[in-house]
Amino acid sequence: MLTVDGLTVDGLGVRAGDTELVREVSFSIGPGERVGLIGESGSGKSLTALSLMGLLPEGVTATGRATLAGRDLIGVPESRLKRLRGRDLSMVFQEPMTALNPLMRVGAQVAEVMTLHGRGRREARARAVELLERVRLPEPEQLARAYPHQLSGGQRQRVMLAIALANEPALLICDEPTTALDVTVQKRMLDLIAEVAPALLFITHDLAVVAAVCERVLVMYGGRVVESGPIREVFTRPRHRYTEGLLAASRLTPRGTRLPTISGSVPAAGHFPGGCVFGNRCPHADALCETVPALTGEGHAHACRHPAG
Amino acid sequence: MRGLAMRGRLNAGLVAGGALVAVVVLAALVSFVWTPYDPTLVDAAAKLHEPGGGHLLGADKFGRDTLSQLMVGARTTLYVGIVAVGIAALLGTPLGVLAGMTPRGWLSELVMRVNDLVFAFPALLLAVMLGAVYGAGTLTAMIAIGVATVPAFARVARAATLQVMVTDYVLAARAAGRRGGAVALRHVLPNISSVLIVQASVSFAIAILAEAALSFLGFGTRPPTPSWGRMLQESQELLFSTPRLALWPGLAVALAVLGFNLLGDGLRDFLDPKLRRIRADG
Amino acid sequence: MTLYLVRRLAVLVASTAVAGVVVFAFMALLPGDPAEIALGVNATPEAVAELRAQFGTDRPPVTQFLDWFGGLAQGDFGTSYVTSAPIGPQISDRLGVTAVLVLGGMAVALAVAVPLGTYAAVHHRDPLGAALSALSQVGIAVPAFLAGILLVFVFAVRAQVLPSGGYVPLAEDPGEWLRSLLLPWLSLGLVQGAVLTRYVRSAVLDVLREDYLRTARAKGRGRTGALWRHGLRNASVPVVTVLGLQLATLLIGAVVVERVFVIPGLGDLLLNGVAGRDLLLVQGVVMVLVAAVLLINFVVDVAYHLLDPRLR
Repeated sequence: MLTVDGLTVDGLGVRAGDTELVREVSFSIGPGERVGLIGESGSGKSLTALSLMGLLPEGVTATGRATLAGRDLIGVPESRLKRLRGRDLSMVFQEPMTALNPLMRVGAQVAEVMTLHGRGRREARARAVELLERVRLPEPEQLARAYPHQLSGGQRQRVMLAIALANEPALLICDEPTTALDVTVQKRMLDLIAEVAPALLFITHDLAVVAAVCERVLVMYGGRVVESGPIREVFTRPRHRYTEGLLAASRLTPRGTRLPTISGSVPAAGHFPGGCVFGNRCPHADALCETVPALTGEGHAHACRHPAG
Repeated sequence: MRGLAMRGRLNAGLVAGGALVAVVVLAALVSFVWTPYDPTLVDAAAKLHEPGGGHLLGADKFGRDTLSQLMVGARTTLYVGIVAVGIAALLGTPLGVLAGMTPRGWLSELVMRVNDLVFAFPALLLAVMLGAVYGAGTLTAMIAIGVATVPAFARVARAATLQVMVTDYVLAARAAGRRGGAVALRHVLPNISSVLIVQASVSFAIAILAEAALSFLGFGTRPPTPSWGRMLQESQELLFSTPRLALWPGLAVALAVLGFNLLGDGLRDFLDPKLRRIRADG
Repeated sequence: MTLYLVRRLAVLVASTAVAGVVVFAFMALLPGDPAEIALGVNATPEAVAELRAQFGTDRPPVTQFLDWFGGLAQGDFGTSYVTSAPIGPQISDRLGVTAVLVLGGMAVALAVAVPLGTYAAVHHRDPLGAALSALSQVGIAVPAFLAGILLVFVFAVRAQVLPSGGYVPLAEDPGEWLRSLLLPWLSLGLVQGAVLTRYVRSAVLDVLREDYLRTARAKGRGRTGALWRHGLRNASVPVVTVLGLQLATLLIGAVVVERVFVIPGLGDLLLNGVAGRDLLLVQGVVMVLVAAVLLINFVVDVAYHLLDPRLR
């Protein structure tokens, strides 16, 4: 963990009462680095992001340690966290249609994040228009005076991006930012995110998307990071059996249309097996897998007793 | 009766509301065969009798027994409520169903406009108008409350019908060539019945409030027939000396209204949690 | 928005006219001949005819209606058949009293419902939040006049700090004016506040689940700040609709509360009119109250459209 400037996460855990939802997640993101976090729904990827933002739902708590540019993010009082949110780290959510306040003009919503963190009202207004331009929205002056319902989903997501970028944060977190968008709009949005993000934590279940945006990837399953490494390596030579299955399922086999899928289904939260979280669905699992495998390896790491390749 | 299937579980509101309503109904029923005293009996010896000694809750300035009056007053309250809600349901439901089945027709538009107009005439104004012209009494009160409640039923019935009309079985029935009337009787009414029952309970509570207010103003049940609202009105001048005369009828009104409100909310949860969304305000 | 305003205004005018027809048909056409009533059974036909001509009731109903309704627009409500006094000034004298009563009641209701409903929503899991919900359920069951009697008992009979009734005009003594209106305001407002609390609670609960509240927190607002800045205005959209219904209810509730507290408002005038068989007076007051309900609905509809840009 050498990076002091970027994000460092060490032994992050998230729990709701007695149920552990995320366990021992450790990773770091350097300045300018774009990291993908992939996994199926229920893998804990969104909770990981929300715990970094300090926006976990009521009754859900985070443990462990996470720092951004040396500042603690976990176990810090809300009064301190809220000064970081929107300034040092910011987030774009999945659903653009509902993420903006329907009664407030778009420009005011962008300006708000700046006035909240100490900028003057007039300056914030002017800069809001600049930001709308920066996220490639047409006629930003006019658009700033529009209400969210007058914008398309793609445009609203760009507004969310403008809000996220407004205070030049050190880290941008995107949680499935293009899932709700039309395919044609997705590509341009992804290119834009890749271009403007300072340092990026990009959450998705879509392998193609992560390959298009990120340099490095973390694969989550059952609340744990099971594999991590440079995109190219992880995607061409997966080591963990789960990653292997995930990649196989996403690829069309050359000869036919039949997709090899991972057998069984993702267990409910708190019902993952005790050892390797993938143990009950893995064709290679044996007695060794009853104990938790550690995430090992420099650069390209995996947590599997019977790695592929 | 699909709408009345036992979908939910008993909930606290349903039980508490049902119990309060049961007490009122029981008091009214028992009053037909027995009351401690004749509720209209003027007895100089029992004038402002303190509670106890035969007069369990005391007596008023004419020596009339408070408990007996309350019991017969429950009868009046339920009588007015049943007739008023009956009028509202019988007029409002067909109008609402009709409007809901032909959402774009002129009929629907007309029904809703008339609805809006009736809404501008609250029960009290109707009762005052009726009373001014024909002389006030139980009948004018019931009609006024009933007519004023029609819009609530029509609105709820229309909203529920609109939902039923797009369900698969109604579309199938219509595709099979069933006439509107048959669809209304076989599919729409059974399916909106639970919404209507909930509305009836809520409207009943409002009718009790209205009846009490009208009797209080002298536009309701005429003396000597006992009524909670008039007991309250008569108690007002003695508020300084004998506040209990206001306490008992006041408590009766509040508990009866609370009972029907809780019953309505409880029924809503019991019959179908989805119903929470469709409910006329007021 | 302009188009909507014009259309909605047309609806207001049309429904007021139709309501006028209803009130007129009911009050002026149905009952007996006011001239005969005024003169009694022993009057000569000539005297009755003369009085009819004087009242104008010998003209065709349509002419009578147009005359009456046209007069309303200029504040001319006609002359009482019973007291021979012009009705317009009586109504305008009392309209202000009732308006102050209703608006004060509404202010009390809002002052009660907005904080309590918001608290109950934010803390809906806590015992206190649940208790508030239950308490509002009880409040709904108490009619305004009963609340009035209760308040009189507590503040006038027991504590003896406020008058049990009567009204002092503002111009006469502002302090006494306020004291004479406090209990009536509370009677109207507390009960409506209880009803409103439930609506505020459910509106705030709905808003609390909204994504834009999370967005606001992601911008760096705290829980309270996000709710305050982004939640309450959104929650107010559904509440405003209820508010309109409530204002109408309050207006009618004021009629009863005026009787409890002996306040010379429109309700008092209306009931006196009925007692004195002054049908034209009753007709006028009923028309004013009905028009007020329609006007309130109009204002609420417009406010609704102003609040929500999606409807503009």
